[in-house]
Amino acid sequence: MTNARCPEPIEFSDIVDYWTGDLSRADEDRIEEHVFTCADCARELAEAKTLARGVAAVAREGRIGAVVTDAMLNRLAADGARIRMFTLEGSGIIPCAVWADDDLVVSRIRADFDQSDSVTIVTRLPSGDEIGRVSDVPVRPGQREILNAFPAADLRKLPATRVQVIVTAQVGSDERTIAEYTLEHGGTFDRLNT
Amino acid sequence: MSLCTTSDLTERWTAGSVALVHGSGDSGVVTPSDGGLARAIASAPPGAAQAEESELYRRFAPRVRLYGLKHLRDEAAAEDLAQQVLLVTIERLRAGEVRNMDEIGSFILGTSRMLAGSTQRKARRRETLTARFHAPELSVEPSVASGDIEAVERCLHSLAERDRRVLILTFYVEKTSSEIAEELGVTGTVVRVSRHRALERLRECVGLRGHDGSVDLRGTRTS
Repeated sequence: MTNARCPEPIEFSDIVDYWTGDLSRADEDRIEEHVFTCADCARELAEAKTLARGVAAVAREGRIGAVVTDAMLNRLAADGARIRMFTLEGSGIIPCAVWADDDLVVSRIRADFDQSDSVTIVTRLPSGDEIGRVSDVPVRPGQREILNAFPAADLRKLPATRVQVIVTAQVGSDERTIAEYTLEHGGTFDRLNT
Repeated sequence: MSLCTTSDLTERWTAGSVALVHGSGDSGVVTPSDGGLARAIASAPPGAAQAEESELYRRFAPRVRLYGLKHLRDEAAAEDLAQQVLLVTIERLRAGEVRNMDEIGSFILGTSRMLAGSTQRKARRRETLTARFHAPELSVEPSVASGDIEAVERCLHSLAERDRRVLILTFYVEKTSSEIAEELGVTGTVVRVSRHRALERLRECVGLRGHDGSVDLRGTRTS
């Protein structure tokens, strides 16, 4: 995407690379020289900054309903987020709950993901209603764990209920279930009563 | 030389109450060029070009602030830099020390580089002292309007899983492209392409795209 009024517009991708530090010093200098003489491209840079700040703010507030990494969780913990973790592994019913002051609830899903290079994770209630779906989660060869995060505020809206987590993979033309877990969600607990 | 303080000047500039449009014969109004503004400030008696000074501040303070954020990584330091740079610029214009008025943007960038370099050196000295005496640093995160966060949150969820992860690792965890590539088991090029695509889609989704004066998260127009 380029800009309509600047006669020599900078590509938005270059502006993003500038902001993330992926350019050489010479290219950074070139972009800065241009931005200080071109209001249109300065606006493009401001937009990139705005989006970057917005993404950071969403993550910092624990509003990530997505697959996360240990690095993200470490950063959240360093920022003071309360993270509750449950491990989904093997068979049997897994008890879980959310506390009033939790920010993020993370399922540590352990399985053999080698059948495909991506999986889909569906979280649903006994009624069949989905409360979470993450599609096309890339998996690396040998990967045995996926961290699936839910904003705790969303889970606090749930009553005590059973929850199913199903991991599927596209193998050839078939969609195969490669792992399935049942959780017994005990509802929301107030820290003072526990 | 003006005896105004930084706060006096920035208060006046940011007030922005003076319209700055000049008639151009029978064809309506024309917005002065950056060079035209610089010439007007330089040729006016002290205090007589308030509208032009406000306009110069309105045009360039956001750019200096962005430059400061990029190089100083601190919102308050970037704000201070913007005020210092524009103060120096206006004083140099008034004193007749800016040679090429048509390249006032380059002059402001040069001043930004010089003052940011000085700020960075001070910050490094402060970090050294902090490390030596184990004094904790206070960090202030920028505030973001809740409506903006909701829009970004909604749009983030519409992105492909890998793209979303790349954005969060980049802008929240502040990892480099090569660190993200290693974590995701892909190349640095894949990370950059994924980031470009994701930000383009995010920009479109939140409705930021456009060149008619987009509003940033602080509610200030950027042109």
